[in-house]
Amino acid sequence: MAEKNVSIFDIFGPIMIGPSSSHTAGIARIAYLARKIFPYPVDRARVSFYGSLAWTYRGHGSDKAAVAGLLGIMPEDERLNHSFEIAAESGFTYEIVPVYELPERYHVNTVIIELENAERRIVLRGASIGGGSILIQEINGFEVDLSGELSALLVSHHDEVGVIAIVSHILAANRINIAGTSSHRKEKGDEALLVVEVDSPVGKSIVQQIESLPPIYSVVYIPGLSN
Amino acid sequence: MKTRFHTVQDLASVLESENLPLGGYLVAREAFIQGKTADEVNAELDRRIQITRAALDRGLSAPQLSFSGLTRGNAVRLAAPEKAIVTDPFYTRAIAYALAVAEVNACGGRVISFPTAGSCGIVPGTLWAFRDTRPSGEEIDDARFREAFLVASCVGILIAERATLAGAEGGCQAECGAAGAMAAAGLASLCGCAFGAIFDAAALSLKNSLGLACDPVAGLVEVPCVKRNAFLAANALTAVSLELAGVTSVIPFDEVVTALKAIGDSLPANLRENAQGGLAVTPTGLSYREKIRDPRPEAPAGV
Ligand code: SF4
Repeated sequence: MAEKNVSIFDIFGPIMIGPSSSHTAGIARIAYLARKIFPYPVDRARVSFYGSLAWTYRGHGSDKAAVAGLLGIMPEDERLNHSFEIAAESGFTYEIVPVYELPERYHVNTVIIELENAERRIVLRGASIGGGSILIQEINGFEVDLSGELSALLVSHHDEVGVIAIVSHILAANRINIAGTSSHRKEKGDEALLVVEVDSPVGKSIVQQIESLPPIYSVVYIPGLSN
Repeated sequence: MKTRFHTVQDLASVLESENLPLGGYLVAREAFIQGKTADEVNAELDRRIQITRAALDRGLSAPQLSFSGLTRGNAVRLAAPEKAIVTDPFYTRAIAYALAVAEVNACGGRVISFPTAGSCGIVPGTLWAFRDTRPSGEEIDDARFREAFLVASCVGILIAERATLAGAEGGCQAECGAAGAMAAAGLASLCGCAFGAIFDAAALSLKNSLGLACDPVAGLVEVPCVKRNAFLAANALTAVSLELAGVTSVIPFDEVVTALKAIGDSLPANLRENAQGGLAVTPTGLSYREKIRDPRPEAPAGV
C-alpha cells in the first residue's frame, strides 16, 4: 500500500460474499481470472487448495467460490452460494483437492487451477494475499505477477528480439497507455510470455492485429477487475 | 490535488491547503484518484451503504446459521431481548446490528469488507443504529450519513498507511480494533464533533483494543470474530460518550497507530490468524477444527 493512494473503497470494500475476504472473495477472483485467461470450453477442471486453504476451505466456502469463479460469477454476486447447483445444471464438472503440504515457495493461501479441453490446457497458480487482493503467480510454468486489477494482455510468443517493441508500437498507435510490461521465459524452450498491463480497454481488432504477427502464438486479453 | 496523508496532522494541513472541509475533501480526493465525478463517488457510496443495510436487515430477519455450527443466529435473539440490562434503544440496536451483519458474513451472505470481512458489522451497525433511533426532528439525511462513512473510512486509511488492517499481520487490533476506531470517528461526525474530536474519539476506541489477538477457531471467521463485532460497536459508543463529555485521549491518534504497529509486530505468529494459538487451540476450539476438517467426498448440491 506504500506507493498507491489508498482509496475510500479499499477500506469500505470490496463488496463480497462472506465469510472471508482472503479465503472466499480472493479465491473467487482467482478462479474468475483463470477463466478469463482460458476463455475456451472446459472439459476438465481441477482446483487444488494449498496451505491454510486446504484445512479451512469448506468452512470458508472456498470451494463454492472457486467453482463460481470458473463459471464466470463475480465475487460479489450472490449466485456464488449456488455455484455447485449451477455447475450441475450446466454440466460443468470439477474436482476439488486439498493439498496439506505447502511447497516452500508458495504463498500460505495458494490455489492451483487446472483447466483443459481436447486441444488446450492451462495450469495456473494464484495466491490470495489478503483483503480480497490476489496475485496470479504462475501460468503454464511461467512465473508471473498479475494482480488482475488492471486490464492485461498475455502474449505468448516465440522467444526472439523485438516482440515487446512491436506490441508497444501497436498499442501506442491505438492510444492505449501501457502501465507496465514483464517478460517471462522458461528455463528451456523457445516460448516466452509477455504480460502487458494497460490503462484502458483493448478492443478485439487490436488483439487480432497483434496475434497476426509471425512470432506471436496467441494473445489473451483480460479485462481488469477494478474497471 | 494533494491526495496523500499519513497522519492526522498531515490531513489537517492538506485540508487547509485544499481549503475544504473533511467530508468534502474526501469526496474530491476520491473523485480525483478514480477519475470520476463527485456525484459518481457519492452514488457509489450510497450503493455500498444500502448493501450494508440489506445485510443487517437480513441478519435480523432470520437466524443466520453457519456450516460449521459456530454461528447460531444470535442477532435475532438480541433484537428482541427479554432480559436486557441496558435498554437504551441506540445501544441495544448498535450491538444487535453489528452482530447481524457479522453473522450474515459468516454465513456466506453479501456484505462489504469494512475494513475486513471479519469486522464488517462494526461501522454499519453503529451508524445505522444511531440513524434509526434519532427522535423526530433530528433525522439524519443521506449527505450527513454518507459523510460518516467517509470519515470512518478515512480513519481506516490512516491505519492502513502507517500500520496494517490485516489480522494476519497485526492481530485483531488491526481488524476489529481498527473498525471500532472507524465507527467511533463516524459516530462522532454524526454527533457534530469537530475535526480534532473525531480523531480523538477514534484514539479512545483504538487504545482500548490494542493487543487484541487474532485466534479464530478452526481458522474460520466466526469465533471470536462475530460476537467481537458487537463488543467493538459498544466500544465505539463508549469512546464517543467519553469524547462528548469532554474526556479526551492522553495519547493522540497518530501515536496510538504507532503503538498498534509495534504491538502487531511483536505478536507471536500464533496470535495472527494462523489458528494455532489462543482460542483456536482450546479443547473446544480444536474439536470444531476436527469436525470440519475432512473434505466432503463429493460436493452435495445446495450446500
Ligand atoms: S479474530 Fe482474526 S479473523 Fe477474526 S475478526 Fe479478528 S482479525 Fe479477523
